[in-house]
Amino acid sequence: MESLLSFALALAAAPLFPGIILKVKAFFSGRKGPPLLIRYFTLTKLFRKGSVYSTTTTFVFTLAPVVSCAGALLLLLFFPLGIGPPLLAFAGDAILLFYVLAAGRFFTIAAALDTGSPFEGMGAAREALFGALAEIAVFIILILFFRMNGTLSFADFFAGVRPISLTGTAGALLPLVIVALFMVLLTENSRVPVDDPATHLELTMIHEVMILDHSGPDLALIHLAAYYKLLFFAAWISLLLCPIDPALGLLNLPIFYGVMTLIYVAVGVVESIMARLRMNLVPQFILTSCTLLFFAAILTMGYLQ
Amino acid sequence: MHPMLLSLGIIAAGGILPLLTYRHCTLTRYLHASFTIVGCLLGLYQALAFSGFLSDISWRWLHCCPLAFSFDSLTRFFLVPIFLISPLAVLYSIDYFTNSQQSLRTAASLFFTNILVIAMVLVTAADNILSFALAWEALSLSSFFLVMYDFEKATTRNAGYLYFLFTQSGALCIFAAFGVIFATTGSFDFQGANTLPESLKIVVFLLAFIGFGSKAGVFPLHFWLPHAHPAAPSHISAIMSGVMIKMGIYGILRLYFLLAPDSLLIGETVLIFGMLSGVLGVLYALSKHDMKRLLAYHSVENIGIILIGLGLGMIGISLGDPLVALFALAGGLLHVLNHALFKSVLFLGAGVVRKQCGHGQIDRLGGLLKSMPVTGRTFLVGSAAISGLPPLNGFISEFLIYYAAFHALQHSHTLFFLATLAILSLALIGGLASFCFTKVVGVVFLGESRSGEEIAGEGGKWMALPMILLAGGCLLIGLFPASFIELARLGLADCLTFAPEVTRQLSAMADNLAFGCRLFLLAVLFFLCLRMVIYRNKPVDTGPTWGCGFTGGTARIQYTGTSYARTVVGFFRPFVLIRETPVRLKSIFPGRTNYTNHVTDIAEEAAAQGLAQPLLLVLGKLRWIQHGNIQLYIGYIVLTILVVLLTLLL
Repeated sequence: MESLLSFALALAAAPLFPGIILKVKAFFSGRKGPPLLIRYFTLTKLFRKGSVYSTTTTFVFTLAPVVSCAGALLLLLFFPLGIGPPLLAFAGDAILLFYVLAAGRFFTIAAALDTGSPFEGMGAAREALFGALAEIAVFIILILFFRMNGTLSFADFFAGVRPISLTGTAGALLPLVIVALFMVLLTENSRVPVDDPATHLELTMIHEVMILDHSGPDLALIHLAAYYKLLFFAAWISLLLCPIDPALGLLNLPIFYGVMTLIYVAVGVVESIMARLRMNLVPQFILTSCTLLFFAAILTMGYLQ
Repeated sequence: MHPMLLSLGIIAAGGILPLLTYRHCTLTRYLHASFTIVGCLLGLYQALAFSGFLSDISWRWLHCCPLAFSFDSLTRFFLVPIFLISPLAVLYSIDYFTNSQQSLRTAASLFFTNILVIAMVLVTAADNILSFALAWEALSLSSFFLVMYDFEKATTRNAGYLYFLFTQSGALCIFAAFGVIFATTGSFDFQGANTLPESLKIVVFLLAFIGFGSKAGVFPLHFWLPHAHPAAPSHISAIMSGVMIKMGIYGILRLYFLLAPDSLLIGETVLIFGMLSGVLGVLYALSKHDMKRLLAYHSVENIGIILIGLGLGMIGISLGDPLVALFALAGGLLHVLNHALFKSVLFLGAGVVRKQCGHGQIDRLGGLLKSMPVTGRTFLVGSAAISGLPPLNGFISEFLIYYAAFHALQHSHTLFFLATLAILSLALIGGLASFCFTKVVGVVFLGESRSGEEIAGEGGKWMALPMILLAGGCLLIGLFPASFIELARLGLADCLTFAPEVTRQLSAMADNLAFGCRLFLLAVLFFLCLRMVIYRNKPVDTGPTWGCGFTGGTARIQYTGTSYARTVVGFFRPFVLIRETPVRLKSIFPGRTNYTNHVTDIAEEAAAQGLAQPLLLVLGKLRWIQHGNIQLYIGYIVLTILVVLLTLLL
């Protein structure tokens, strides 16, 4: 019951948080900013519209929003969202989830190439490289978590005999993980400094340029998938910062969403005070997070047997 | 009569028939296909009936050479891809070999195809050194003739000679390994091999690993593949890449179980070469512009994944960790079957493109999905499967290997590093493979035609049917993995015994994977339905692609495969040698410039620079021996015999 509640809440709340990022950015630039519910308005608007398809495109183009949205939904189904265990879990589901994400990326890239636009091809090439590198960072996190916890499932990472938490065994390694995970979050969700969602020049975009030709409900599905994915990564960091305490009961939920808000604020702050990196520096940025994680993984050799 | 001999007999008859009826081109192809398919299906039925006992076959040849064949579980597992892929490839050849001008050559190719199938069956069934050696030679020679189909082209001849060189020197290493076994045990039987001293076991295994590795395409002995596959007809490439190179894997695995060594070193060696092949294979694949050459490098990559599985499994056996051993070996074996399926569909698809468009140059194609709906869709399924994406078969086997690698993290510090590297290589291979296949699918099948030529449609129903079946197989294994994982486990049954508890864990994992994959497919279908509901009564319009304000776009401004892969190939620069012409703009309004780039394989480069050229230099000095004077040649023979006799007498 709790699980279902938290799942439904996450589904409903996911579009709210990007609004927070916009508010923070507006605060830094001294503007009032769009309303907090802006993303809901955008989604409603898009779902009500029709679509225009390029004559070049095929069914692959329409498959991309569907596959990425399905993948994002699966992420939330298998993740403990603030209270109780996740709706579904099995040993090794973490690997499945990242491959499901990769499937979404595969089809998004294919859809971008399907339009025959050079801009979208360029965005696709960038997304493919950065995605492949970010996958490495994610798998080092899984290696580290397996060393700390002995499982490969999001349900067991934060529960069971050896939960992963700042106060638990090897908790001292977690600050490294949190920083690196935050960098992975920025990469995977196309935020500054990897990609600038607010840029106005197609040549400098990564994710936005890939979905230039999508419109109407298709675009809404892509947006929705992006919100869920961002929520998933933010929830992951949030559980590392502040694990679920079964004793607190329903009170976990406000704490969880409070920490989540802080993470989104942090994303907004980063976007406000940093510029996007030059494209050739982005791999270094991702590899930095890999290095941090690798360092943490090596440290586990000393005191975890 | 032995049932397996019956099916081999039918296949052999199907092979000989074309030589007799080659004047009737169409009839020949249909006859050949029907005989081969019947024989293969009969064989497949026997291989899959695990409960049914297949008795051993043995007889003495020339009164001195004992030949023996037996069908244990590992043999039966490897028979499955042989009997599954070969008939589909033969079916495809009905519409592929349509040129009646070359009917004799076609007949010869059909003949050697069946010889290759029989040789592969005999290799997997061979139960002593002699029968293995004979079958292995038949395999190598028949596949050599198959590669040489277009022998009047110089590139084909070169590819064929390179393959011949590799396959024969590989065989030399294998026979050397067998020689060591024979010298120690004094018998042709495989069974005595486990009595060898430990140090000799390592020598034997490493020697054989070189030989089998060169057949399988393990880095750095892989570079015959990207030459031979583009040269061979496409369905032959499918058999060679999907099944024949797996004979190398079979050899490695068979020899490992025969020797039963304790040393960790062997597992570690296999693992390290697996990682090297996997990562470098996919990297080189990214930089290739020819569809079949690219697919050939992907074979290297997948052999790498299989070896990662086998290496981890061997490490698991040495450590006495049944979970790691079972999951990794089952994953590796299942990947043998999976790779056979998706690589065949990809090669067959590339064959259709090549036949219909006249070439396989990725950067000159485009938009083929519209004119080739079946090829395009099946190729898309194959691409997603080879990238290891759920809910397709590649994901299942890679998952099992991942799972084993994670569990291997817990052992010693060395293993922690090796397992970490294995996991990261798998992750990198997965990422780069989807990079590479979005390139092929995106550039070749999606977008607009780059050359602007009118593209002919599908190749024919016999070409389409095998691709549909294979793509369906990829999805089937993904959605119902339990019985196929069980098949891989049964393949190990005669070689290793596992505690029922570990076996139960494997089948539980199979159910979990089935659940995960089906759930994902269900979610996709759910959103597809949702999308249909949303789009009801919505205005849907079509127009040109948004050119970001530029309206003069042509098909030529699309991203090409080269430009798409350029960043990532450059990123891994020390491992790939990129040769490009520097572009210097001399004035403010520069005129025409030319730019070429070419990526060379470091192993090929090193072999050419370090081995072939010094060898040529030394042997060039000895050219005077070969002068064409026949009397002197006879003199050489007499001299040699004299020297041999003298050394024997003294």
